[in-house]
Amino acid sequence: MELRTNLKDGLLKQNMVFMSGLLIAPVIACTTTLDKSLAVSFVFSFVSLLTILLCRAIPRTIVYTIRVTLYTVAAAVFYIPAIILAESLFGREVINAAGIYLPILITNSLILSKTETRFFLERAGRMTADVVVFIIGFDISCTVTGILRELLASGKIGGAEIPVLFTVPAMETTFGGFLFVGIGAGLFRAIYNYRKAHAGAGEKQDSLAEYAEDMGEFLVGRHSKHEKEKIRIYKATAKKTKNVNELLDMEFLSNRDVLEAFEAIIAEGQEMTGQDGTGSAEAAEGSEAPEDNASDTETEVSGEDGNVS
Amino acid sequence: METFLNMISAALIAIFTQNSIFERALGVNVLMYASRRKEHMFGFAAAITYTTTLSSAIIWIFDVLLGQNDSYRIIMPLMYVLVIAVVYIGTLALIWALLPKVFRSLKKYVHLSVFNCSVIGALFLNSQQGGDLLSYIGYGLGTGIGFLLAAYLLYTAAGRLNSPLVPAAFRGFPGMLVYVGVLSLAFYAFTGYTTSAI
Repeated sequence: MELRTNLKDGLLKQNMVFMSGLLIAPVIACTTTLDKSLAVSFVFSFVSLLTILLCRAIPRTIVYTIRVTLYTVAAAVFYIPAIILAESLFGREVINAAGIYLPILITNSLILSKTETRFFLERAGRMTADVVVFIIGFDISCTVTGILRELLASGKIGGAEIPVLFTVPAMETTFGGFLFVGIGAGLFRAIYNYRKAHAGAGEKQDSLAEYAEDMGEFLVGRHSKHEKEKIRIYKATAKKTKNVNELLDMEFLSNRDVLEAFEAIIAEGQEMTGQDGTGSAEAAEGSEAPEDNASDTETEVSGEDGNVS
Repeated sequence: METFLNMISAALIAIFTQNSIFERALGVNVLMYASRRKEHMFGFAAAITYTTTLSSAIIWIFDVLLGQNDSYRIIMPLMYVLVIAVVYIGTLALIWALLPKVFRSLKKYVHLSVFNCSVIGALFLNSQQGGDLLSYIGYGLGTGIGFLLAAYLLYTAAGRLNSPLVPAAFRGFPGMLVYVGVLSLAFYAFTGYTTSAI
């Protein structure tokens, strides 16, 4: 069941390219051919997996300012064998064509952000599986983009001629990449929403809100003993676009800051559910809770992660 | 005088013809985050400008000393990350010691504006571009100003792109990418296309 959730999150719900947009610069500007997209995928997978596994050992007592620096330095160290291997696999020409988009992968959001908001909150085994799934999700998106853009731009796939009715040379440019990924992300979400609505999920919901909800639910599940109540209040709050955006912003914060921001949203949700009169009894009950919950959460965080930023 | 003009020229190149967002798509996810609020926009642009300018001046020394070495291109990312790390930690330590209140408000987001592909990408582009110390500084400065320009253009449209008039699936991130794509097309003209060439 857990693996199924991981698969769904990494490949679809929280897909790094088309759903959350956490890593799109190389996809937009570099993956114009199959070769380059494979090189980007390889370097990204190698650097990200090894960095995240190694950085899990970094004590959470180290302040976030230093911790995030160590993550990046570790990624830069792993980049050295990654690029040597990539050159032998894909050839110097492809690596040179990819240019600066390979070294910039050392500052990717999977390493700098997702570790704090997700991976380092999980048990080691599950984390590894989760990281692999997120990486595969990126690799598939990146490779499919490379294939389609090469086909559209030059009527080729991997250099082999494919009979096509017309070509769109602009797909090789950066603005072509923006339009391709933007439209691709919109279609990805539309298809996801459509499938969900027709799978008998009951409620029709924007995939962005669902993504934010999942993230909130995940964080609550990891940090609180009162998760059911918090999830309920959170879901009521997350329906407001403002809060969805606020929650998605948390992708970029440290573990501790995420929790603080999350507590604020929950407190706001308790006020909101109280004002709306929906579930007022529960809300009234809940309105007593924030301080208790907050203190529980703080204790648990310090106990589990010792995360002080 | 000539070196000063080179610096201005490098800055203008970084703002317009090689804008890190519109021409290179560097730091797009940070741009989307920064352009949601005015204070974020200026804060991020200031942090990026400061880091790229100072780091550019430092990497110029490494590029001059080690640039001819073939293995330099492999260790370059590590060197650049170390430079950024020194600038980042040094600056934060200074602010922490002198202005603790400012430090508390900065620490939450500053890592995001320092460790992103916009900053490290600017250093690689700077290195590719070459030139003297002032050109490096000019390019670093221009990268930050270029980011501010891109963030402002996105900020002005953010409300419309998130409005209920936009189909739900395209609201937010996908719509913003399409909008940036159209702006990128306009910026593409700065690279010197003429009607006769078309």
